[in-house]
Amino acid sequence: MTQIQIAAVASFGVAVTVGAYVLSLLARKRYPSPLTTPVLFSTTIVIAVLLGSGISFADYGPAKQIMTFLLGPATVALALPLYKNRQVFFRNMVPAGCGLLAGSLGTMVVAGLTARLLGFAPSLTSSIAIKSTTVPIAVEIAKIIQAAPALTAIFVVITGMMGASLGPWLMTRIGIIHPVSRGLALGAISHGQGTAEAIVESQLSGAVAGVSMGLAAVCTSLAAPYIVPLLAG
Amino acid sequence: MNELSDLMAADGRGIAAANSPDRVWAVPRRLEQAALIALQLLGLCALNYAGIWFVRRTGLPVPGNLIGMVALYALLALGVVKVAWFDVTGSFLIKHLAFFFIPITVGLMNSGPLLLADGLGIMLILALSAAIGIILAGWVSQVLLRASGDVGGGS
Repeated sequence: MTQIQIAAVASFGVAVTVGAYVLSLLARKRYPSPLTTPVLFSTTIVIAVLLGSGISFADYGPAKQIMTFLLGPATVALALPLYKNRQVFFRNMVPAGCGLLAGSLGTMVVAGLTARLLGFAPSLTSSIAIKSTTVPIAVEIAKIIQAAPALTAIFVVITGMMGASLGPWLMTRIGIIHPVSRGLALGAISHGQGTAEAIVESQLSGAVAGVSMGLAAVCTSLAAPYIVPLLAG
Repeated sequence: MNELSDLMAADGRGIAAANSPDRVWAVPRRLEQAALIALQLLGLCALNYAGIWFVRRTGLPVPGNLIGMVALYALLALGVVKVAWFDVTGSFLIKHLAFFFIPITVGLMNSGPLLLADGLGIMLILALSAAIGIILAGWVSQVLLRASGDVGGGS
């Protein structure tokens, strides 16, 4: 491709992605459902358009680079809700800290072990094991432990949807009713989507979930390089 | 308890206020706002690059952007910087965080065969591990909370 063609494809890629995202926000407002989750909905549209117009993922690369440039600073900004809601976590330091460790490490080990039992390849198993971390950090961990970033991202999004939609029901079923515990579990396992759900449940749950999501990312980042290679084989 | 107002602020209320109709025509105000957003973005980018630089320098197996996040938290806790310095831009980025994931997940267009072959197994693993993680985090914290006399009053 010539320079001009590359620039044209990049502009097209950005336009399609932004358009799909805006459309997904409208769709979610009109028909709220797990299927209209912005990432899932927009990704489907963008892939369909790219396939339809014969643009490969490699051609989409420059557009991707332009759009993900802000992901780094956005991740840094996650420190803001973490800081704003720190008190509610510190007040329950020991129970919340132990619960967070148990949940974050537990889900990683269970996911990694079952993936290995099913005979999945090491890079796939590694991608599955780190799926409870918020996307921008999960993608970076994926690069460190030689997992596949795109697969990791989609596993994270699916985990978010599953936990946010079924988590509250499951916890009620087995008697987890403390608002701190419910927020903690939703944030630790289903990151952003879980936090959004916890905010709906109660103010306290939402605040705990925001902190829990940030700390789960720290916890998984620190543990994954040592634990995941053992699980993935 | 100001958690609710904090959570609402994290939903980009700052941006909404900045764009309220009575200000749209006030050009100097808008310029000021644009400069503010640019400066805040510059600060967040600087922290991100500092994190990436730190990880490269030390060879630690952790993401650079995570170090940037921890650094911002530390600076806030130490009182070196204030939440208000980053709030407008930070809240906007967090509100639209999902947008930045889309270009990454589009990479799935190269993973079609894998998802077709192993999709069911993958969904089962994701559901099982999410359920166990939620039960572990919820149950462990609730047992310890109750042991310390905090029954929480239900939900």
